[in-house]
Amino acid sequence: MSARQHAGRRMGDHLILAAVMVLALLWIAPLAWVFALSFKPNAFLAQHTDVVLGAPYTLKNYTDILGTSSVFRWIANSCIVSVTQTLLTLVLCSLAGYGFARTAFPGQKALYVFVLAGLAVPEQAVVIPLHRLFADLDLHNTYSGLILPRLAAPFGVFLMTQYFKAIPKDIEEAALLDSTPRWKIFLRIVLPLSIPAQATLGIFTFLTAWNDYLWPLISASKPDMYTLTLGLAATQSNFAQSEGIGYLMAQAVFAGLPIFVIYLFFQKHIVSAVAGTTVR
Amino acid sequence: MAGIQLVGVNKRYGGTEIIPEFNLEIESGEFLVFLGPSGCGKSTLLRMIAGLEPVSAGQIRIGGQDVTASAPGERDLAMVFQHYALYPHMTVRENMAFGLRNVNVPAAEIDRRITEAARMLELEGMLARKPIQLSGGQRQRVAIGRAVVKEPGAFLFDEPLSNLDAALRNRTRVELARLHQRLKTTMVFVTHDQVEAMTLASRIVVMNRGRIEQMGTPIEIYRKPATRFVAGFIGSPAMNFIDAIPVAAEADCIKVRLADGTELQTGVPTQAARKDAKLVAGVRAESLTLDDASPVRGRADVIERLGERTLVYVTLSNGHSVVAQAHRESPVASGDLVGLHFEPEHVHLFDEAGLAWHAA
Repeated sequence: MSARQHAGRRMGDHLILAAVMVLALLWIAPLAWVFALSFKPNAFLAQHTDVVLGAPYTLKNYTDILGTSSVFRWIANSCIVSVTQTLLTLVLCSLAGYGFARTAFPGQKALYVFVLAGLAVPEQAVVIPLHRLFADLDLHNTYSGLILPRLAAPFGVFLMTQYFKAIPKDIEEAALLDSTPRWKIFLRIVLPLSIPAQATLGIFTFLTAWNDYLWPLISASKPDMYTLTLGLAATQSNFAQSEGIGYLMAQAVFAGLPIFVIYLFFQKHIVSAVAGTTVR
Repeated sequence: MAGIQLVGVNKRYGGTEIIPEFNLEIESGEFLVFLGPSGCGKSTLLRMIAGLEPVSAGQIRIGGQDVTASAPGERDLAMVFQHYALYPHMTVRENMAFGLRNVNVPAAEIDRRITEAARMLELEGMLARKPIQLSGGQRQRVAIGRAVVKEPGAFLFDEPLSNLDAALRNRTRVELARLHQRLKTTMVFVTHDQVEAMTLASRIVVMNRGRIEQMGTPIEIYRKPATRFVAGFIGSPAMNFIDAIPVAAEADCIKVRLADGTELQTGVPTQAARKDAKLVAGVRAESLTLDDASPVRGRADVIERLGERTLVYVTLSNGHSVVAQAHRESPVASGDLVGLHFEPEHVHLFDEAGLAWHAA
C-alpha cells in the first residue's frame, strides 16, 4: 500500500469515527437530558425544561420514589419475573433447538415451521385469548401468570436451532465414540459451546421481560403483583404529564438503573449479541 | 487388538444404494486403507464400522462379536476425524480424559495414559492449552492422542491428514506409521490420497461407486491393477492409456496396433483377447522412455524437471498425449521430435469391460 493510499485510508477512518461520535452524541443527548431533569424540582420544571446544567438541584424526586411503599416490592417482582423468565426461556429454547437441530422425528420440519409461524403473530392479537385463558386458570395476579405467556419464544427456538446446527456434527460424534450418553453430550459438549447464543438470548429475554408493560398491565391488577414498570406508571397521577416532570424523569432513570448495571457486567456479550458476532 | 469383519453390509439412502453388498475381513493388527475418489462410499463404510451410520443390511463384527446394533461407544474403537473434532472448550488434557472418565477409568490410570500418549506424540507442554491455542498439526496430534489413550481394539482414521499442509502431512504420515509399528493395533484409514495409501497400508482396498475394485498390497495394486479404474487412480503421473487392437501373437504374447498405426509387442499372453477385440494399452511413465530408434514418435511439448527424474509430455502423431520419463539430466527440450520405447513386460491391456491383462 502506498503512503498516499495509507493516508487516504486513515482520513476515511477519521471521518467515520467523527460521524459515529456525532450519532452517539445525538443518541445520548435525550438520555442525558432525562437524567439531568430528574434532579430538578417539579415547580421549576413547570416553567423551564431547557436548563440542564444550572441550579436548582434536588434529590426529592428520588426520595419520593423510594418513599413509595411498594417500590422495593415492585423491583423484587420485576427481578423474579425477569430472571425466572430468562432462565426458563433458555432451558426451553435450548432443548427445543437441540431437538430441531439434531434429532429426526416424524413431522419435524412441519413442527419447526409451525413454531416459527409464531414470529408472525402480533402480541396484541393474542392478548384477549390469553387473558381469558389465564382468568379461567385463575392465574392472574400470580408470578406464573406473569411468566408463562412469555415462555413461548419462537425467536429463541429459531436462534438456538440455527446455532446448534452450526456446531460441527463430528464433535458430537467424537463424544459418542467416547461412550458419552446423549444427555451428557447436550450438557457437557453442546451447551458450553452455545454460550454465545445463550448469552444473546438471555440478554434479550431479560431486557424484554424487564421492560414488559402490556402483559403485566393485563395480568397484574393488584399493586402487590405489579412489576416496576407497571408500578411506576401507576404512581403517575397527572395523565397529561404537564406537572411532576422531574418525578417522571426520576422514575425513568430509576427503572433503567438495573438494566444499566447489567449492561456494565455483560457489555461484551450485549455488543456481540447486537452485532451478531460470537464472543470467544 | 481386534479384527473386523463386514458381512454382506449394505447401505441405502431411501431408494439409492450407496454401498451394495460389501464383504471384507480386516485382520487383527492390520493397517488397512480404503482408497477411492470422493463419493465412492469409503467414509460411509468407515462410519458404519464406527456405528455412526446405521447399516441397511448385513453384519459388522469386531473382535468376533456382532456389533451391528451396538452404540459407537460400545465397539471398542477410537476414531480420528478429518477436522480433528476436539472439544473446543476443554484443554488438551480434558479432551484426552473425557472418554476415559465416561467409562470410569481410575484417575491414576487416566493420568498414566495421558502422560504416556503426550510423551509419544510430543504434547507434554500443551496439556493445559485449549485447541484454539494449537496449530493444525498439534490439534491433529491431540486428536490422535485422544484415540491412543483409549487403548482401543482398532483405530479408525477418516482422512486425518487432508487438512494439513504438504510438509506436515508427510511428517504426520511417518508418525502414524511409527505409531502402528509401536502399538500393532488394527488401523482402518480412509483417504483419497494414493501416496498416503501406498506409504501407510499393509493392504489397500480401492473403492469405486461403493464397490471394491481391487484389494491387495500397495505393490500388487501398483504393478498389477485389476481394472482400468485402479490403473488410472493409482500412480502419479497417471498411467497412459492408448487405444489398441490386437494384430498378431508372437511367442504367445499379443502384439497390438496403436491408434497412430505403429505396432507394439506386449508381454500379455494371447488368451487375453479375441482377435477383433477393442483394447486399451496402459503403460506407466517410468516404463515409457525416450528412444530415438523407436518407431513410435511424437513431439515433446511440456517438460517437467522434478530433480530426481524428468517427465516429458509427448503428443503423438494422432494427437493423443502421453507422459514419458527421462533421465533427470536429459537434454530433451520442448518442441523436440522424440521416439518412445515401451517396455513390453510393463504394458497392460484392458478389455472393453475395463478388466486388466498383465504380462506373464
